[in-house]
Amino acid sequence: MRYKVLTVDDSKTVRIIVKKAFKPFDCEIFEAANGVEGLAVAAKESPDLILLDVTMPVMDGVEMLTKLKSDPALKGIPVVMLTAEGGRDNVLKIAKIGVRDYLVKPFKEDVLIEKCSRVIDLKPMNEGPAKAKSILDPAELLIVEDKPAIVQQIQEGLKHTPWKIKGVSTQAEAADQMSKATPDLIMVSLSLPEEAAFTLFRLIRTNVKTKYTPVFALVVKTETQQQQQAQTVGFTAIITKPIDTLDLESKIAKAMNLDTSQRYYAIEGDMMVMRLPEHCSPAVIAEAGAYLKPKFAEAVDAGFNKVVIDVHQIKSLHMGIIKLLFQAMQTCRELAMQFVLVGNAQIISECKGFEDTRGWTFYDSLEEAKTNLSKAVGSPALAST
Amino acid sequence: MAATAEITEALIRDNINRAVSDVFKTMLGRTPTFCSQGESLQGKALAPSDRPQVVGTVGFIGDCNGLIYLHLDLAFAKACTCHLLGMTDKELELAGDEVINDAIGELTNMTVGSFKNALCDAGYPCKLTIPSILRGTNFSIEPISSAVRHIYYFDCAEHRVIADILMKSDE
Repeated sequence: MRYKVLTVDDSKTVRIIVKKAFKPFDCEIFEAANGVEGLAVAAKESPDLILLDVTMPVMDGVEMLTKLKSDPALKGIPVVMLTAEGGRDNVLKIAKIGVRDYLVKPFKEDVLIEKCSRVIDLKPMNEGPAKAKSILDPAELLIVEDKPAIVQQIQEGLKHTPWKIKGVSTQAEAADQMSKATPDLIMVSLSLPEEAAFTLFRLIRTNVKTKYTPVFALVVKTETQQQQQAQTVGFTAIITKPIDTLDLESKIAKAMNLDTSQRYYAIEGDMMVMRLPEHCSPAVIAEAGAYLKPKFAEAVDAGFNKVVIDVHQIKSLHMGIIKLLFQAMQTCRELAMQFVLVGNAQIISECKGFEDTRGWTFYDSLEEAKTNLSKAVGSPALAST
Repeated sequence: MAATAEITEALIRDNINRAVSDVFKTMLGRTPTFCSQGESLQGKALAPSDRPQVVGTVGFIGDCNGLIYLHLDLAFAKACTCHLLGMTDKELELAGDEVINDAIGELTNMTVGSFKNALCDAGYPCKLTIPSILRGTNFSIEPISSAVRHIYYFDCAEHRVIADILMKSDE
């Protein structure tokens, strides 16, 4: 749901600052320069929140607030006063008419957002299924862990990614770091002293900027009670120590809703290359399989009808890989795409040992495959099956 | 109702110092330093005559009446506007003087608001007026005889900010 916020202020400067403050959040901002305009916009748009100044020409904020609260159709709209008009007596008088909060100028944008988030459930703009960040985009990861070796292990294991990984050792350092820049994902060690991990988790979830940020719990495998507690309070994922960084990378990508198809599919020259990595765990097979049909269809749609299926990095075949390769070849045939296979000696030998894969033809290198596929015309599938 | 405190020179100085500091720190990320207290320079310009000035004015009326002029040189007014609105110099150039006037008007409104809110809490309830802007070079302000004038200078980011306070004296 996209929230509507109405800012009523005779100062264009304040209206611009308000728009700037709300820009990172999924809401629509309406503007009015005085109370008369404010009431008209409120009646037309039914905003979810009104930010209201006091001193304005034509109709001031107190009069607008009084009229708003006496109109049955509008009286339910929450109002936050945003005004230079303070002083205890003034504030009390206005509060009696009925406001949800009162913010005296000068104000920090963060404080404005914090107060408004208590009235409406502000969500970051990039939240939800439309998020299109990919595995190749930079992201900021924060690790809160008092054991430097664990931080180093994660940094080392993920150094091939474009992610910037910052490690801090205490809850206070984490809070300080989060106030400077909102991380895309946070990992918190459950072994921090005095239940600091759970205190920090609550802090993260109550801050408007981080309330939807994925938070992973880092915990020793045998600490089942802590794991249960983390699940109960709502940590996004539990990462057990010793950490499998490949698994961690997949979980991070999933939690951040990243497009990971580039790991397996790329357009190179005039053809698509489907490339499987050295370690083809069930998670990898599932991930590559999920992107297969859409990526091939996307290639055809963009005018590419040749595919190199490259499995030369794989050390050994298993049934999951074979099924995925059958699925890829079948998709090529359905889409009338030409395809070739690239393998290594081990894979080629193993394929000879299975009835279903005995007839597969492999090239030894990607370059050789590409050269031959470029020359090929007519036949939809070059590799025999 | 708060007990009424006497509006002394020290109270005015402390209030304006706090107000200017709060507004410039919160809205502009800059820390002004109280520089000196000026004298009432009848018929003389407060700022150097060769530097164009943008002057915001906001009044307060009620149990206590007055008017505050906040003087900024044009270069600083532009820098403040860019910071407040997240604009570049080029964008500000395209946007025109109206944007600068509005930004300095709002900055003055906040400063005077802070100043007079302290007066309210000291037992002098009063309300703000709508801001207005003066622009020019080498102009002077002549207060009416029943007004008491207080002038305060601040240094901020290599610029001079002047708060010229005119308060109607009790008669």
